[in-house]
Amino acid sequence: MEMKRRRNSGQILLIAALIMASLLLSVQLYILDVGKITGEVESDSLTDFVLALKLGSRHVVIGSLANISNGGQSSTLGSNLLKWSSLISEQYPFGRSTLNYALRETAPYSSGAWIDWSTNGIGVSSAYVDFTYKLSDREISVNQTYVMNITTTVLIESTYRIVSGDTKQVNVTINLLNEAQPALAKQVTIYYKVSNSWLIPNATNTYEIIDYGNATYIASFNADIPSQSVEVSAHVVDKREIYAQANATSTQI
Amino acid sequence: MIEAFLSIAVIFSAMLISVTFPSPPNLSKQKQLASLGTQALVNLDSNGALGSFIVQENWTAVRQSLDVLLPVGVSFNLTVFDENLSPINNQTIQNTGLLGRETVSVQYVCATQARNMQLFLLRLQLAWRG
Repeated sequence: MEMKRRRNSGQILLIAALIMASLLLSVQLYILDVGKITGEVESDSLTDFVLALKLGSRHVVIGSLANISNGGQSSTLGSNLLKWSSLISEQYPFGRSTLNYALRETAPYSSGAWIDWSTNGIGVSSAYVDFTYKLSDREISVNQTYVMNITTTVLIESTYRIVSGDTKQVNVTINLLNEAQPALAKQVTIYYKVSNSWLIPNATNTYEIIDYGNATYIASFNADIPSQSVEVSAHVVDKREIYAQANATSTQI
Repeated sequence: MIEAFLSIAVIFSAMLISVTFPSPPNLSKQKQLASLGTQALVNLDSNGALGSFIVQENWTAVRQSLDVLLPVGVSFNLTVFDENLSPINNQTIQNTGLLGRETVSVQYVCATQARNMQLFLLRLQLAWRG
């Protein structure tokens, strides 16, 4: 009887040890597994992803406007955005990601672009796109709207004075703005009109242009212009390669 | 008596096995690393420099820029893919090897800020040194 009880207690001890061992191992496995799942779900990359998404959208709109303003097709913006949104929709690995866009059609925009190089001293090259980004994750749902309005504006003012006969000294002040903020130009070319032909002043015209470093450029030159009306034009490419031009009639001083 | 020894052996074995399990990854460190990687890429891309380096295939400039933007003690390896997901960098863009280290991978979509827009997919692998 005593012998049997002792054998039973030994078996109970062994069973208890096995239970403890399996508990120990399963707790360890659980901790490891939870760690892995959290590593996937708790990815803080969503904020970074949205930030990169906005930056990329901005680059696409700038590049497309640079293309359109330099003589490209007006459909470039739409086709580039289609490629961009397709790539973005495939990228977020933890959920369903959709980037939609709407090209602004309200006047003065058409197909998201507005190019106005008028004769009143103002030239505008602009693009306007509304974006909506939706993300459905296992844990997070994002619905974010943002706008990309990229605008390069050239403002010019011109004065002239008669030096002798038809020779006039012309001054042109050019201001460049990116999104209404002063911006630097990559290239500025000045034209003046003589008998329906646009000419570029050169060294023979004692042409010089001063860059004030604050988005203001002053060009001056001498030219034989028989007409009393002196028309000038500034063709500007900004650092983003967006082109804009503005025409103005010079006033005599 | 035998049962007691067997019990001790079972418990001891379980403890030994559990010790050999790989430790769960240090998530906060990994998250920090991933965030650092994305921030470095966003910084480099903010004025369109990243896209233009890729178009010019100036891999040295990309490596040097990341070397500056990432903190000391971070190893990286960058692979650049085109839209068809074919790798295009014909030389490795890395500072030191990542072999044997716990890495995190950051994916980044880059659009060039150019007249002829191009899209690239970047995969940045990062690890803490030491």
